[in-house]
Amino acid sequence: MTMRQPAIVVLGLLVAFLVGPFVVIVAASLSAGDTLAFPPQGFSLRWVAKVFAEQSFRSSFALSMFLAVFATLAALVLGIPASYAMSRYSMPFAEAVRTVVSSPIIVPGIIVGLALLRYLVAPFGINVVVALFLAHTALVLPYCVRVVSASLDNLRSDVEEAAILLGSSRLGAFFRVVLPNIRNGVLAAFILGFVTSFDQVPVSLFLSGPGVQTLPIDMLGYMERTYDPSVAALSSLLAFLSIGIMFVAERFIGFSRYV
Amino acid sequence: MFQNRAEALTLALPAATFAALVFVLPVIVLLSGGLHVEGRWTLEAYQRFFADPLNRLVIWRTLELGALVTAAAAVIGYASALAIVDLPAAGKSRMIGLVVLPLMISPVARTYAWLVILGRAGIVNKALMLIGLTDEPVRVLFTQTAVFIGLLQLFLPLMVLSLVSALENMPNDVIPAARVLGANWLQIFVKVVLPLTREGLVTGGTLVFAGSVTAYITPAILGGSKVLTLVTLLYQRVTIANDLVSASVIAFILIVMSFSANLLLNRIATGRSLK
Amino acid sequence: MSDSAYLSLEQLKLAYGKTVAVDRLDLAIKQGELIALLGPSGCGKTTTMRAIAGLLAPVSGHIHLDSRDITRVAANKRSVGLVFQSYALFPHLAVFENVAFGLRLKGMRGKELEDRVQSGLKTVGLSSFASRKPGELSGGQQQRVALARSMVMEPKVLLLDEPLSNLDARLRLEMRAELQRVQKETGVTMIFVTHDQAEALALADRIVVMLNGTIEQIGAPEEIYNRPNSAFVADFVGFENVFRVRAGELDTETGRFALGGAIPREAQGLAWRPSMVELGGGPFEGSVRGMSFAGGTRQYLLDTPLGPIKVEASAHLPTHALGAAVRFDLPVSIAAPLQRFG
Repeated sequence: MTMRQPAIVVLGLLVAFLVGPFVVIVAASLSAGDTLAFPPQGFSLRWVAKVFAEQSFRSSFALSMFLAVFATLAALVLGIPASYAMSRYSMPFAEAVRTVVSSPIIVPGIIVGLALLRYLVAPFGINVVVALFLAHTALVLPYCVRVVSASLDNLRSDVEEAAILLGSSRLGAFFRVVLPNIRNGVLAAFILGFVTSFDQVPVSLFLSGPGVQTLPIDMLGYMERTYDPSVAALSSLLAFLSIGIMFVAERFIGFSRYV
Repeated sequence: MFQNRAEALTLALPAATFAALVFVLPVIVLLSGGLHVEGRWTLEAYQRFFADPLNRLVIWRTLELGALVTAAAAVIGYASALAIVDLPAAGKSRMIGLVVLPLMISPVARTYAWLVILGRAGIVNKALMLIGLTDEPVRVLFTQTAVFIGLLQLFLPLMVLSLVSALENMPNDVIPAARVLGANWLQIFVKVVLPLTREGLVTGGTLVFAGSVTAYITPAILGGSKVLTLVTLLYQRVTIANDLVSASVIAFILIVMSFSANLLLNRIATGRSLK
Repeated sequence: MSDSAYLSLEQLKLAYGKTVAVDRLDLAIKQGELIALLGPSGCGKTTTMRAIAGLLAPVSGHIHLDSRDITRVAANKRSVGLVFQSYALFPHLAVFENVAFGLRLKGMRGKELEDRVQSGLKTVGLSSFASRKPGELSGGQQQRVALARSMVMEPKVLLLDEPLSNLDARLRLEMRAELQRVQKETGVTMIFVTHDQAEALALADRIVVMLNGTIEQIGAPEEIYNRPNSAFVADFVGFENVFRVRAGELDTETGRFALGGAIPREAQGLAWRPSMVELGGGPFEGSVRGMSFAGGTRQYLLDTPLGPIKVEASAHLPTHALGAAVRFDLPVSIAAPLQRFG
């Protein structure tokens, strides 16, 4: 099939608009100059090197990784049973439960961060990292529930009934039959939750304290202080990381079906 | 469907309790802060907030940006989605991958790129000066236009994906059928495509609008304090003036906007599952 | 219940939430019987089957199996097999592992397991498919895997939910024979649910016709086919001309009509198959509204004072044109008398 001319133009512009900016920051981060510029002035890897040398980036990266992994795991531990209950049982207050669990997706992140800071962290003296962990778990929970629920709804419940009639217990049926079949959905939920938490700014904005910052917050602060290309270099590295994750996820579990 | 209600609640309660304690309760307390001032329940904070022309300007600007971004996303979204669904299978999935990809990349990184592009020494200005349209660099950064461009780039993929799936769910051959009946392309779009993909348009539009009015990073980086939106205003009120009462009012307005958008989405979702 | 009952349902009441699906149902089934639960959708047949399997707890009443009250026994401890309408194979497991699933749970391992699974697969003719995934099989093959998976457990009762409905016409005949053969070879008590009367008539030893959560009629296929006891059953098995009887006359919406011949006293209604209506003479007259040729026969739809009448006549007889007036008779002697009407 040959494409019509206008379609090619439209898609070309779309790709340029959506993907073009990355080309720009990748190029800018390879600049040899001292300030952010495009086209870049010369070629060097000095800004990439600076990112790795910068102590603040290293510690905020570690914090963001920690949060993304453990908040998502916590959200899955809470979210999988809840999704299972909502998908398989005729449950009292099902709507209320669904609304409460998915509300963090509806309320803008900055409000969540502020509310947590003022009414959970301050009055109870909760450690900042713990607070960030709780906030990120709450934030990721709706995504996990949504993706896992969709996978569960795609798996007919008579498969579990068949397992039970063959002698399995309810719990046994879940681990032997349900979990293996929603495995890709759970993986997709993990990746989505990981990315959501890792890139999260508004929720962390108020909760980050001096010395305890997530990577995106650290980047925002750095941008305000300095106009050198190191943030561009870091952004490029993160973009390549995301592309890598996406590529692997798409290849092995068909990630985009779950988003 | 299993019948055991106690079992169901046991499974669902940890998640529900967690979300209620860590999330719903603090937000409710925050919201009540704007209604409960100096020991009594009152709407004074709201009256004061709305009386300030600057605040009204910010509300208006936030809604305007949301509407403009949504409208632009709809136009570009239809053009792109129509082109995408026409692609052969392999090209289609590659193209969808390219559209999904930006969603997976840090919004900080995505927005940061526009600093390079739109800045005083950015490509846009260099190009403008090169072709002699201007001698002085034009200021794009820290204008509403910059925020608009940033938001559009951020949320356009949601609209495109939503419209692609709507177009793919359209019954086969309706476009050729309309063509055979003598409709021109405009008529086909208005009378066939638009009505049949309305749900997808509304879904995408709601996501784009809700995302735009509640975004923080893009207005913060590309708008700064010159182009405040409700979210950046809230941040400013809290960090600069420690004004929790105004923050509570703004939070309420934002939640109303986001909630009504989601209500609309849910109605579409349930309407579809009933069919 | 009779002593010979192997599986018995007593005063069974089943409900989903507040909606009662089956009410005060009594049914006794002998060991080795092949029973069809027949009825339109929503009649409670699937609900009844799920209750026997233990997937739905009864509101009240009892279920006995093999001299044991299993009403409160968990589904995984009942020795009841179920072949789902959707087959419900485990998509992540190969055919062999699907069939081995229940045996492994029983603790069976090694050679014994291997032999049992292979013989189960051999019974359904799928020995060479052991390593395939369910997604790589046709509908008919999937169904046979599901059947083998249940049968290797040697259940006391095997339930089948609409076993033939997802198969095409040719496979349906094949599977019918297969089910009969398996049942004969193993002697397992089998209950299958269907909405298709032809399927029930062809397969079952006895048919249980259900409507609105209660049993309309229980009987051998010939009995159901020839002597339906209610207007519903009559209509369901192809008596398309069904009339209410009052005071020895047909009672229709358009009036009362006497028939030549004595109507059995206890009959509340009379029913005729289209082929039982005699065309070309008799006390009634109608005009031809529709006619269609069906190979050996012609089917007519007549407008008559009694209402529309469906007739099937041999194609050798002279044709009646559309609009033509025809005389016909509803012979009482061959009509099916109905003990209940409505």
